[in-house]
Amino acid sequence: LSDLARAPRNLGRRTHSLERGPVTEYLAFRLASEVYALPLAHVREILTLPPLTFVPRAPPDILGIISVRGLLVTVIDLRCRLGVEQAPANKRTRILLVPSPTGEMLGLHVDEVLQVYRLGEAEIEPAASALGGNVADHVAGIGRRDGTLLILLSLHPLLASTR
Amino acid sequence: MADISDKARDEFFSEAQEIIEGFSRDLVALDDAEKRGQGDPDLVNDIFRAVHTLKGLAGLFGANKMSTLSHDLEEILDDLRLGRRPLSREVLDMLFRAINVYEQILLVERSDKQIVPAEVEAFLSQLTVFARRDLAPSASPQVSYELDAGLLAVLTEYEEHRLRTNIQNGFALFRIRARFNLITIDEELERLKAKAKPFGEIITYLPTGEGGDIDAIDLEVLMASRTQYDRLVEVLGGPNVKVEEVAKRIQQPALHLTPAPPAAISEEPPPPDPARSSEAPRMALASTPPPAAAARSPSDAAEIRASKDVGPGLSLRSVSQTVRVDIRKLDHLMNIVGELAIVRSSLARITERVRSNPALRELGVDLHRLHRGFERHLGEMQDGILEVRMVPIGQIFEKLGRVARQASREAGKQVNLVITGAETEVDKLIVEELSDPLMHMVRNAIDHGIEPPGDRGKVGKPDVGTIAINAFQKGSHVLIEIEDDGRGMDPKLLIETGVRRGFITEDASHEMSSREIFGLIFIPGFTTKASADMLAGRGVGMDIVKTNIGRLGGIIDVQSERGIGTKMTITLPITLAILSALIVQVGLHTYAVPLSSVQEALVYDLGQVRSIDGREVMTLRGATLPLIHLSRLFGVEGDATRARGFIVVVSAGPRRLGVVVDFLEGQQDIVIKPLGPSLRGVRGFAGAAQLGDQRVGLVLDAPALVEEVLAGDAGKSSLGFRRDVA
Repeated sequence: LSDLARAPRNLGRRTHSLERGPVTEYLAFRLASEVYALPLAHVREILTLPPLTFVPRAPPDILGIISVRGLLVTVIDLRCRLGVEQAPANKRTRILLVPSPTGEMLGLHVDEVLQVYRLGEAEIEPAASALGGNVADHVAGIGRRDGTLLILLSLHPLLASTR
Repeated sequence: MADISDKARDEFFSEAQEIIEGFSRDLVALDDAEKRGQGDPDLVNDIFRAVHTLKGLAGLFGANKMSTLSHDLEEILDDLRLGRRPLSREVLDMLFRAINVYEQILLVERSDKQIVPAEVEAFLSQLTVFARRDLAPSASPQVSYELDAGLLAVLTEYEEHRLRTNIQNGFALFRIRARFNLITIDEELERLKAKAKPFGEIITYLPTGEGGDIDAIDLEVLMASRTQYDRLVEVLGGPNVKVEEVAKRIQQPALHLTPAPPAAISEEPPPPDPARSSEAPRMALASTPPPAAAARSPSDAAEIRASKDVGPGLSLRSVSQTVRVDIRKLDHLMNIVGELAIVRSSLARITERVRSNPALRELGVDLHRLHRGFERHLGEMQDGILEVRMVPIGQIFEKLGRVARQASREAGKQVNLVITGAETEVDKLIVEELSDPLMHMVRNAIDHGIEPPGDRGKVGKPDVGTIAINAFQKGSHVLIEIEDDGRGMDPKLLIETGVRRGFITEDASHEMSSREIFGLIFIPGFTTKASADMLAGRGVGMDIVKTNIGRLGGIIDVQSERGIGTKMTITLPITLAILSALIVQVGLHTYAVPLSSVQEALVYDLGQVRSIDGREVMTLRGATLPLIHLSRLFGVEGDATRARGFIVVVSAGPRRLGVVVDFLEGQQDIVIKPLGPSLRGVRGFAGAAQLGDQRVGLVLDAPALVEEVLAGDAGKSSLGFRRDVA
């Protein structure tokens, strides 16, 4: 359905999209020095960091809970989950609200939100061919644009270990 | 189900559910009445009407199975009403099963899958056969009372049957003439019926067509009763009510005994005199039965009966003054009240700041007054919403009656269920969540508690076992006791089983208190019965009961004595929507402790603390109080610079625990919200609540903490991550 919604816009860039194949929008964000991206369609909202309540006894990759207009949202530490080194939060820290496979709204704690990239299929290397067979499920592929290397994430495998 | 809007569907389900509940209630009452040997025709009528309404509803919504079921039941019930079929155990069983089948059908309809369970189909075909079964023809009427032929002619088939039954039972007939004010006739008539009910049965009532004026109307009520005439006069008589006994076997109709029925309804009675007939048309609209000459089908009779009950002066305006509300809407309102409470707290802080500024004294006074008003109204609003959510707990007790009946039949035991305190009010959500655990406990009591009838006789107990359920309010809690007079639990057997299954060690078993021993039954997988049977061995054990009750913020406690019985006590908060909590701090972290579990708060005085086996304890009013530092329990950093801390004494049932915190912030009303499913494995928290200025505080699950600390050795070290604990 999202492809249908985007069809009119693709018409304007027909020549490009013919070369690049179907286009998907990705939201790029930074964790430490790496740039990751998630399909934009999955991201419901980008929040500046509200007061975070630590939950004792929660798994180590859960940072705590926040209240988003009265709804309690569990915030997940993507650094911890993706094995990136830790760093304290700062002004640029953002929370991405994404739905989990079970429908729960979760917050992803990221260091900085960069920009939206429109990537054609031809610009994405599937994870298996780029990195070999033994890649974690949550890496969908590698995108390249203007010299930046984007690690494209697949949301559901990424959240699969969160119950 | 036919294609209809969601809203209409919801209405259908809630209405059907309500009717089925009423049906169930009446049926249990009928079963009781029948056991006492006194049938109650009103109940049969109520049930008949419920089924009739369900049939209509089902037809409207294209729920075919429900139509079929209602149709057959209606026939059986009609036969019952008219005395064509005796009220046998078989019929009662059939009706009880029908309630379950109704509920199953509703589930199927709601699921949209339209897969009808085989047992439903089986029951439907069985019922159809049953309904069509030939019946003994009813005895021909033998009226030995001198009643006006005109009156007899307008009796419905049902009324005729009741008249006959009463006469056969040797009841005398009375004619009561009463004058009613047209405006208040509904209530007055109901009052008269209620007064008459203990003394007999009202068979019919008709307008006399005499003596009325613009504002009043005379009704003639035919009543059967065993009571003496004088007594009836005393009870029912009054300035506008005259009671007469109908003479027996008088050949010549006495003048005063023969008021004509209104209007020319049948060919047989003499035409009414003009004065009467002038009154008649007014009444004809409201309550006059259709001409007797017309063939009356049973369902016609029901409708007449129903319309009569509404009484003269019937109008299309709905008499109901109630609205049905989705509980989620109330939750939403409650959330708003919660947000307002946060606004109020902020307002209070601002008011204090303004008041402490001498330059703004006048403004401060005004603001303070406004704040007080706001606070009061907010409190009233909160109480109002809470009150709406409250329902009598009796709603589920009715279901329990049915379960007990079925379970005792399956187990071949005789059980009498005694219920008290059904009117105790509890939050609707609690009532919903409570029904499964209670049902399981009643089944357990029947299956494991009550002995088979033979065994009971040997120990001098009556054959019929008793399960007593008692609900009552105690402070801000509701207590429900489920007590049976069965064989009780054997502590030795419990310990043996516990040791055999490895839940406790042999050594530990010697030191267990009786409370701890009985607590074993709540361990998952604990069962003393060799084989899981149909009743209580369905994989839902007492551990689930405990978990479910715990989820409602309640606790369960067991007392048992061998040979005498077992008593389980459930303690529940009255409402879940909003609660008063004590806000505490540990280092930088803020937690809320529901006041319902807080007994008191003390200053943490190192001088009074003793260490026993690595655990801190202190003596509080002669009893030992185990202590736990929240910072250690949760593995968070406490405030090392603070010299003194505080102890919050929390309780779960009879057990107490002192929770050591850094600081007490104060009391606040909070709206508790559940943690997301991603945190389901984290124990010790009942949820979280907004505390103001965007802060979210975790709400401690005090009973769970007490349980955890006193059961395990958590007091010695902090617990690790427990995410895999479901």
